[in-house]
Amino acid sequence: MLKVLLVLWPSFVVAGIAEGVFFTVIDPQELYLFGQPVHFSRLATYSIGFLGFWVVCAASSLMTWFLQLGPDDLNRRRNDAG
Amino acid sequence: MTSSSRIPTPIVEIKPQFDEESLYEVHKKVHPRAVSGIFATWRWALVWITQLVFYGVCWLPWNGRQAVLFDLVERKFYIFGLIFWPQDVFFLAILLIISAYSLFLFTAVGGRLWCGYACPQTVYTEIFTWIEQRIEGERNARIKLDAAPMSPRKFWLRSTKYGAWTLLSLWTGFTFVGYFTPVKTLWVSTWSFSLGPWETFWMFFYGAFTYLFAGHMREQVCKHMCPYARFQGVMFDPDTLTITYDTERGEPRGARKKGVDPKAIARGDCVDCGICVQVCPTGIDIREGLQYECIGCAACIDACDQVMEKMNYPKGLIRYSTEHAIEQHWGWKDILGHIVRPRVVIYSLILGAICVAFVWGIATKPVLRVDVIRDRATLAREVEDGLIENVYRLHVINVSETPHRYAISVTGLQGIDLAGERIIEVPAAGTKSISVQVRAPSESGNKGSNQVYFDVKALADEKISVHEKASFLRP
Repeated sequence: MLKVLLVLWPSFVVAGIAEGVFFTVIDPQELYLFGQPVHFSRLATYSIGFLGFWVVCAASSLMTWFLQLGPDDLNRRRNDAG
Repeated sequence: MTSSSRIPTPIVEIKPQFDEESLYEVHKKVHPRAVSGIFATWRWALVWITQLVFYGVCWLPWNGRQAVLFDLVERKFYIFGLIFWPQDVFFLAILLIISAYSLFLFTAVGGRLWCGYACPQTVYTEIFTWIEQRIEGERNARIKLDAAPMSPRKFWLRSTKYGAWTLLSLWTGFTFVGYFTPVKTLWVSTWSFSLGPWETFWMFFYGAFTYLFAGHMREQVCKHMCPYARFQGVMFDPDTLTITYDTERGEPRGARKKGVDPKAIARGDCVDCGICVQVCPTGIDIREGLQYECIGCAACIDACDQVMEKMNYPKGLIRYSTEHAIEQHWGWKDILGHIVRPRVVIYSLILGAICVAFVWGIATKPVLRVDVIRDRATLAREVEDGLIENVYRLHVINVSETPHRYAISVTGLQGIDLAGERIIEVPAAGTKSISVQVRAPSESGNKGSNQVYFDVKALADEKISVHEKASFLRP
């Protein structure tokens, strides 16, 4: 459970900050999606943007969690399997 | 070198450095005991104030609109008489700096005042615990109910509690969204089941978070999720007020009959009743000293004072005090005398300066903004009568709450003038873009770029004007 939180929570906080900064500077109506102007409502763009930021940040947190595993965790895992 | 020639290194087992992990997983549920007293009263006062503001302010009208509305769709933030545009992000940044410095200052002086009294996590936990206590009873009743097997009574109590929590969470989610979408329209569309998909999503999202954080996670949010809890210690110094157990006075602790003189039985004042632990929302024992889990809610002070009163001992075995004060047996006079110290002075000066700059900035915030953009398609062209024409796009932003008509003029070159529109009408808190042709005789100015100025003046109020630079090209 703590691992899930360690991945989801910091990424949520950072996604919130990123969302705020990004959409303060950029008007969603000026964005292009695959070469076409974004035709979603602003509320939808903000929401999708936030969830997108969250996913990206969570991927980063997940990788951090993965790389910080100590030799102990990794060795034990292999021993368990064998 | 091949890997086979290497001596295999023994694998050193590294033990995890913190035990929090296991603590989190097999976390013991904290059943805080209800407490009354001066600090509990303060905490409840702050619950009322913050929640009246939160649930109430979105319903206040102002100038025929919602007084506080962060209109994401229109990209305008309304805060009573003020309107903030994306260009005003500077103020938001300053506001964040002010909040940070206030937090530093309060923490340096009074410890975790924010955590103990005003943090939404504390406030909602307080409300949710209150509901829990009304439905399931006091601490002992709740522990018993937790241990008891499922029965019709337990099922009824649990579902009532969860139901009440859900209603409050949904109301909180609704209010939250009401700050971003006009709340009255939101109210109507909620009951006519015509909410937009994203409004519905955020309402449930925020509601679910409230439910989870205040109903189930409580102190764990402070212990495991809050970044502030981790670094607040940096702001502390030996003169910071913290909730302190007076070890010298309390130890050796031990049970005794009411009214027994501690000296007669060679004990300290602590009767070891454990009530300070029972009331603690984070489940710690303050007698072990200052811990990072302590959110500074002062529930243990209230509880201990009541016990001391019953025992006819002086109050304040657990009290707001400082490291220095406990060491050197200071009274309140000395503690207050040590509030003014370099750290506090520096925080106050910086905070004061930023606040002044903020207020000054708000007071002198322009009510009219003009952006002049050269038309990139046509640089300069020759028109009739040997005049040179440049085309610009004027983006006029009326930041005020009254519609305005503005006169546009241009200066800076001999004989320069506008061809076409000279008046532009912009609605209240609105923007308008127009294309303007500027013509000047071909002999005025230099070849190449010349500096010219656009003046945009409100017809109703001469003081509302903008003087904006632009360049005029002459081939």
